Amino acid sequence: MMENRLFRVVGIRPLPQRPPERKRKWYSGKPIFSIVFLIVIFTGCMTCEWFMTKDPAYLDLYNCSVPPGREFLFGTDTMGRDIFSMIWYGGRASLFIGIFSTLLSTGIAVCFGAFSGCAPAWLDELLMRFVEIMISVPGLLIIILIQAVLGPASVASISFVIGITGWTSMAKVIRTEVRQIRGNEHVIAARCMGGGFFHILWKHLAPNFLPSIMFMAVMNIRSAIAAESTLSFMGIGLPLEVISWGSMLSLSEKALSARAWWIILIPGVFLTATLLCITELGNCLRRCGIKRENNLS
Amino acid sequence: MSGLLEIKNLSVSFFTPEGEVQAVRDVSLSLKEGEVLALVGESGCGKSVLCKSIMKLLPSAAKIKAGNIFADGADITNYRERDMCRLRGKLFSMVFQDPMTSLNPAMSIGAQIGEAVRSHERRISGAALEARVMELIALAGLDRPEAYRKLYPHHLSGGMRQRCVLAVALAGNPRILFADEPTTALDVTIQAQILELFREIQRKLRTATIFVTHDLGVVARAADRVAVMYAGRIVEIGTAEEIFYDPRHPYTQALMRSLPAFSRGRDTLYTIPGMPPALLDPPGGDAFAWRNVNALDVDYEEAPPMFRVTDSHYAATWLLDERAESIRKQISGQGGCGHLDLENSGCQSGKKEAGKNRDVQTADAGKPQEVLLEVQHLSHMYSLGKGRAVRAVEDVSFQIRRGEIFGLVGESGSGKSTVARCIMNIYRPRKGRILYKGIDTCDPRQFRANRKMLQTCRQLIFQDSASSLNQRMKVWDIIAEPMKLGHRKPPRGSFRAEAEFQMHYVGLDPCYLDKYPSELSGGQRQRVAIARALTMEPEFLAADEPIASLDVSIQAQIVNLFKHLQQEHGFTFLFIAHDLAMVEFLCDRVGVMYKGRLVESGTVEEVFSHPGHPYTQALLSAIPIPDPGRERARKPAELREEEFSLEGESVEISPGHFVLRKKG
Amino acid sequence: MKKLMLFVFSIFLLSVIVFYVSRLAPGDPLISYFGDRVEKMSPEERQWAEEKLGLNDPIHVQYVRWLNNALHGDFGISYKYKMDAAEVIRSRLGNTLILGGTGFVLIFVFSLLLGILCAWREDGWMDRVICKLGTIISCIPEFWLALVLILVFALRLSWLPSSGAYSIGKNGDLWDRIVHLILPLSVVVISHLWYYAYMVRNRILEEVRADYVLLARSKGLNKRSVMFRHCLRNAIPSYLSIMAISVPHVLGGTYIVEMVFSYPGIGTLSYESARYKDYNLLMLLCILSGILVILCSMAAQLINERIDPRIRSGDVSADREVNKT
Repeated sequence: MMENRLFRVVGIRPLPQRPPERKRKWYSGKPIFSIVFLIVIFTGCMTCEWFMTKDPAYLDLYNCSVPPGREFLFGTDTMGRDIFSMIWYGGRASLFIGIFSTLLSTGIAVCFGAFSGCAPAWLDELLMRFVEIMISVPGLLIIILIQAVLGPASVASISFVIGITGWTSMAKVIRTEVRQIRGNEHVIAARCMGGGFFHILWKHLAPNFLPSIMFMAVMNIRSAIAAESTLSFMGIGLPLEVISWGSMLSLSEKALSARAWWIILIPGVFLTATLLCITELGNCLRRCGIKRENNLS
Repeated sequence: MSGLLEIKNLSVSFFTPEGEVQAVRDVSLSLKEGEVLALVGESGCGKSVLCKSIMKLLPSAAKIKAGNIFADGADITNYRERDMCRLRGKLFSMVFQDPMTSLNPAMSIGAQIGEAVRSHERRISGAALEARVMELIALAGLDRPEAYRKLYPHHLSGGMRQRCVLAVALAGNPRILFADEPTTALDVTIQAQILELFREIQRKLRTATIFVTHDLGVVARAADRVAVMYAGRIVEIGTAEEIFYDPRHPYTQALMRSLPAFSRGRDTLYTIPGMPPALLDPPGGDAFAWRNVNALDVDYEEAPPMFRVTDSHYAATWLLDERAESIRKQISGQGGCGHLDLENSGCQSGKKEAGKNRDVQTADAGKPQEVLLEVQHLSHMYSLGKGRAVRAVEDVSFQIRRGEIFGLVGESGSGKSTVARCIMNIYRPRKGRILYKGIDTCDPRQFRANRKMLQTCRQLIFQDSASSLNQRMKVWDIIAEPMKLGHRKPPRGSFRAEAEFQMHYVGLDPCYLDKYPSELSGGQRQRVAIARALTMEPEFLAADEPIASLDVSIQAQIVNLFKHLQQEHGFTFLFIAHDLAMVEFLCDRVGVMYKGRLVESGTVEEVFSHPGHPYTQALLSAIPIPDPGRERARKPAELREEEFSLEGESVEISPGHFVLRKKG
Repeated sequence: MKKLMLFVFSIFLLSVIVFYVSRLAPGDPLISYFGDRVEKMSPEERQWAEEKLGLNDPIHVQYVRWLNNALHGDFGISYKYKMDAAEVIRSRLGNTLILGGTGFVLIFVFSLLLGILCAWREDGWMDRVICKLGTIISCIPEFWLALVLILVFALRLSWLPSSGAYSIGKNGDLWDRIVHLILPLSVVVISHLWYYAYMVRNRILEEVRADYVLLARSKGLNKRSVMFRHCLRNAIPSYLSIMAISVPHVLGGTYIVEMVFSYPGIGTLSYESARYKDYNLLMLLCILSGILVILCSMAAQLINERIDPRIRSGDVSADREVNKT
């Protein structure tokens, strides 16, 4: 029998405290393994002087093409250099090229794309046609020719070359995003309030298109590293004396005939694994977007 | 089982990573052949989920936790997808909210309707299929079916698309039709036509319909029975007359009271305090108790069962328990006007007082108020390239006096947004002048000379959408932005303190200072936009559809805020909206726009009681009135998609009341 | 008509750029003609050689001469091969087209199938496994994949030949050709497949989230009909246009494969002509690739316009007002 004392007016009570949200493991959804691997590679390459067993540039001619064993952990290449040390030392060059060229290409792409996005329609058309012509010129040609102008290749020149040729797709994306953000109401409101071009660029446009290019920038690092290794393999990248993962692979033709699988496999595995982890990171960045439900299943 | 559709104690939950969201809790309903049932409630109360769960169209994260659904005698609760496919289209079918995206943009109308027909009559021949498709198109009220058959969705306007969606839904002769807010995205006049169409089809085909909506006017026009939902539960169910004239549950009563028509002549709209609960961890007991001024102790303890008022009227509130007899008398004695009585608009005393206030204002208006903004013969065009141009605004002239709220109404495409943007110098109009305090803002030289003053004294508020606030700026940064841009030193010390003051002023908790707009609700975001506009202490505020995307109860809160700003501080507003009821409540004077021209302008009383232009008359007659008796008795004017004449000039038919008319 | 003019103009511009840049860059074209004997030539001999090859005149004169000859069909002589440049290319073009063309067709078909397979059950075990595998495979650099395949299949297992397009003496033997094609073709297909399959998968999943899918289901259509008749049909136009644009990308990718497999195709030609400044060959190759790129982008645009009914009817409704909810 319910007591009558419950039937009286009490009005609105304050909302009860919500129980603390169930703690989701902070590492769920993030590619932990990839990040850890990348950190290992990065620190390994940076601190390689402390644990390298041999000098990577030393040509130990008595020990050419030795399979992996106790003394040479990953074996030696056809010129007698220790592959284990070369991996860590050469990783520096590859990573540096990847990061530096991406910085360069992102910088160019942001300037170009933002300018084109804010420009009047005719200028925008012109700039986009220019980008399309740049895409249609064969990339190989540009690289070779710029190489010829700059002289013998070095880490800096290769980064420059890859940076100069890699900005086009990002610029297109940035320009589309900027065009779209410009129509948003908060930008119109800022203009009404008296905001100048730079204020709008800094406060309104940039923070909104940066997330979408984060993903592209990470992918650019990956393609820059892959491009460097391809170029070095073909002989127009870093020369043999400058050690990078790509230049290590440029000896592979000789290695094939010598059946020295470790010269080909080991640098390639490191290269692929690094690229894979960078890709995972990029994909995770892209997934941090709004999700809609799947209407079909 | 008597009914066509029977739902018993249905509970549906979404299993999300954050936890279980109980969207539908313990719902029981029944639907008879040929009956129209309306599901009313605010957004998020579970009405859409209920319909989709009956048709099993929910995403895989949603599961039926408990309860049974009986359709035409069979228990379909555990039916698999294969069996449901056979039923969908044949037994029940659905019309969705947004006609723009409901149709496949790459298939022609005829193909889509034909597909619907063929999914249930596999062996139908080519000629018979065509005939049936044309029959359906004609049934949906589109004349010349052969022409429509080959068109694509993007060739059609919103109303025509919704008719096509209806034709698709009726292809299999369904016995139950679910309509999920079918007219929310449409203009008022189109809405009236579509509702008329629904009624006609329901009469011809005897289809039972479940209408989901949040608009009580639509309910009054379209429904036989009404079920009110709140927080996933049905709180009251009964015939339309019973719900509108004798609401028993406090939430239903509050809904009725928050209609603008109820507050006619008063200073503020009645608002329901608080916000709808999040269904992630729904509170125990009666979910409405946390917003109910007259909540009982037992409401917090235990959820009330359905109590019987009459055979057809049930309400789930402890007030109907016999132990609450004394409380009921107590509450009704306080004059809590529960029901709708539009003739004597409820509280007589309130009206008289408000009448007095109005008189005072008009007495003041005897001394001519200064004209703050004057628009003279404004014209603007958009060019679409290839030599084509669209006339957005043509020859619009009106005045706004200091301290008044001027409403600009019209349907989509009428040019009202363009007028606002021209006034705020976002666009430069092709022709015409806009004088703000005597300065011609369209003249570049004068604009530059007075730029600072113009940029601080006039501010703009947009419709709440994802793009009206910068998602990557914190709330206090957004509010303080005008001050930073205007290089003004914050009078309260720092920008942050200034932002806090403005937030307090518009009724936002200061704990939101460091949050991002995505963490706020629609009403809160709109308050931030208003606070941002108020930072520079403007004189004139232009609001471009500020309440269109908000819930009804939140709309009332924002409108009250506007009214408060006008009365306490003398702000002048240009209020653009398409909801005529809100405009009638809030505005002093109003202008009606149609296809870029201002067809009528004058005081609200004049225009709404004696509309001069045929378009205004059609518009007013198309608005559904939330009163079933009057709605049924009303015969809507012959509403076709006709063109109203736009010839003539502005003729003053009574002091202050201008109509576009042919002279002589 | 306007498009044709634009096309011709772009090719012209391209030829000018390539001509000037290749000649301005340092390097000695005589090396490609004479090989290592250049170092031993005396200055008079060099002078005579340059005059004979027409390298002494100012650049614009050289360009006009080249243009004049080109419009008559004479693209000059390749310095290295000492044959007509067009002849050199013609003999090798076929091989590249076989490799690239077959690769393209295979990529087109398989990425579509793979993408549909993944999208059918999103987040199902098959989708997850394929996505994981695909990501890993797409990270493998093309040349390294080629090397590893040679190592395994040609050297260790000796199942397949490691280089060339055909064994010596068996020029016309079809089966021999096919056997030689298998490894290079697999490299080309595997390295590009996942990129396009992922794109197809994402595009279909985007369509699946559209509102019209709900209407289609409420008509009573089953899942398979909705997927194929609605979502896929809407995703195909953008897929076609992307594939049209990617033709030069795939063909360009064959260059590296040709190098690793010593496959006699245009890839090695391009590399050599750029490296060793074989001007005439370089010009012709660049012009050909430029034509290909521009043709493909025009084709993509054409496909877009034809298939998407919104653009086809020329109707673009102006959204003048702020959208209502």
